[in-house]
Amino acid sequence: MLAVFKRELKAYFASPTGYIFMGFFLLICGIFFAFSNLFTASPEYISVLSSITFVFLIVVPILTMRLMSEESRQKTDQLLLTSPLSVAGIVLGKYFAAVAVFLFTLLITCLYPVILSFFGTIAVWEIVGGYIGFFLLGAAFISIGLFISSLTDNQVIAAVVTFGALLFIWILDWIIQGIPTDRISGIVFACVLVVGVAALVYFTTRNIYVSVVIAAIGFGIIAGVYFTNQYFFDGFIVRTLEWFSLLKRYENFMMGILSLSPIVYYITFSAVFLFLTVRVIEKRRWS
Amino acid sequence: MIQVIDVTKRYGQHIAVDHINFTVDKGEILGFLGPNGAGKTTTMNIITGYISATEGSVKVDGFDILEEPEEVKKRIGYMPEFPPLYMDMTVQEYLDFVSDIKKIDRAAKKRSMEKIMDLVKIGDVRKRLIKNLSKGYKQRVGLAQALIGAPPVLILDEPTVGLDPKQIIEIRSLIKELGKEHTIILSSHILPEVSAVCGRVIIINKGKIVASDTPENLSKRLSGTGRLSLRVAGPEKQVLKLIRELEGVKDAEVQGVKEPGTVDILVEAEKDIDIRRPLFYALSRAEYPILYMRSVDLTLEEIFLQVTTEEREVS
Ligand SMILES: Nc1ncnc2c1ncn2[C@@H]1O[C@H](COP(=O)(O)OP(=O)(O)O)[C@@H](O)[C@H]1O
Ligand SMILES: [Mg+2]
Repeated sequence: MLAVFKRELKAYFASPTGYIFMGFFLLICGIFFAFSNLFTASPEYISVLSSITFVFLIVVPILTMRLMSEESRQKTDQLLLTSPLSVAGIVLGKYFAAVAVFLFTLLITCLYPVILSFFGTIAVWEIVGGYIGFFLLGAAFISIGLFISSLTDNQVIAAVVTFGALLFIWILDWIIQGIPTDRISGIVFACVLVVGVAALVYFTTRNIYVSVVIAAIGFGIIAGVYFTNQYFFDGFIVRTLEWFSLLKRYENFMMGILSLSPIVYYITFSAVFLFLTVRVIEKRRWS
Repeated sequence: MIQVIDVTKRYGQHIAVDHINFTVDKGEILGFLGPNGAGKTTTMNIITGYISATEGSVKVDGFDILEEPEEVKKRIGYMPEFPPLYMDMTVQEYLDFVSDIKKIDRAAKKRSMEKIMDLVKIGDVRKRLIKNLSKGYKQRVGLAQALIGAPPVLILDEPTVGLDPKQIIEIRSLIKELGKEHTIILSSHILPEVSAVCGRVIIINKGKIVASDTPENLSKRLSGTGRLSLRVAGPEKQVLKLIRELEGVKDAEVQGVKEPGTVDILVEAEKDIDIRRPLFYALSRAEYPILYMRSVDLTLEEIFLQVTTEEREVS
């Protein structure tokens, strides 16, 4: 894992990628810092962190597009996968390299609040909390980018799809408001999910029996839940989508609340996507 | 050392490798011969654990690739068809990286690195970026990568493809040298190449093994049917008739006229009969001088055809 991590970190700075990422991130951050703190002489730094989350849409694809896709294109995955490394080790090494570049850049921006502290008092703990939230949010986005990069051997496609996925998460809270919360649509949505999973299983394994069994179990669960607790389906769509709402939890951090549950949430979210990445790579070897 | 047991690989409906079985003994150099698309790369990818077989199993040194992949992978050095090189690294950085992922400890690495670089002759480019190297050098770095960690088994997929004749000779003698200390599987779609270095050859076509023998036996079997190409000065019809009536001639056909007053003919002899002398006397008696006569090598496609029909006759 360490070897992959080191190689990946070096690769970021052997190509323009690392510099583009850092440059762009610091530029946007600097502009917002200048406008919301310097020009207005305001010590309220945390608002910068909450308004620049949109940079993830652009910088995360830059950081992650190459990670797995370039390995498949150059066939270097053949070297990694026939070495004694585990797939999880490879994926983690790459993930931590991307996260390290991000963390390093983030640490540079810590200069801004330090500058502020020379001119007045700043809410130190609030800012620390804000940074932790910002970091976790970015790390979760990176796990999505890494996952998408493992699906294609074309960096450009990886970048565009990652951008799309992040954009979706970005506007999710907004979408959620327009979504029906009645029981019927909740049940319909649950059924669609079951059919979707069964179809996915069919297309990956080509085994009709397994997918039919999975669909049957899924419908059984829906029926079971309906008869034991029919209120469960009220607002089911919203609750499902909210699970993906990374930004909603981020608001807590921005209000200066540092609680355990969003931290656990972000780490779980990243872990799920890293796990999926490992599965995708292992799956490809079996197909 | 290596056991491939009933291995099959399907891609959807297409069968890339079809129930193949073979074993490789310690110290053997095995040639894996077959035309493009025969399933050589697929088989090698399965042995090295890059992809999984649909059915069957592979054991290296007694370890199953699915059950103990790490033990198997430690014992194999793999040079894939396209060397898996990171273009943004220098040769030295790359080989250090490979040592790291193969979990070689520092002392052992130091000792072996110089030796490997000498062996494949890449010491002079160690500081160069891989993307700036020539095809021949890239191939050698790919080979160096496989040698790191001194694995007892080497698997080399078309190691000479795309090299110039001089480089091919170098790589071949290098493989022979390596064969003294390693068990090697080497794939190729060129017969002379495997004959030159391998102790045993497996011929694979359309995913199936069609023959497995020493190169000597194989070429003996293959030279059984002599095919000759000749140019004879004389009228086409008579010459052809004369040749066809000759004892031991299986078939003869006109290939064209390249020189006025002559005819080019391809003659196929019956199995195990040398017809060159009878041919010479018969034609000279009829006063149709032979302007040239040479034996025609079988193309790889013909070898497969022949080997497959032969196997069928045997069974
Ligand atoms: N990833 C793949 N998907 C579908 N078919 C494949 C794949 N890889 C190889 N094949 C098919 O399997 C057969 C064997 O290929 P390969 O092992 O590369 O042959 P060789 O190395 O002998 O030229 C070919 O017909 C090829 O088209
Ligand atoms: Mg091949």
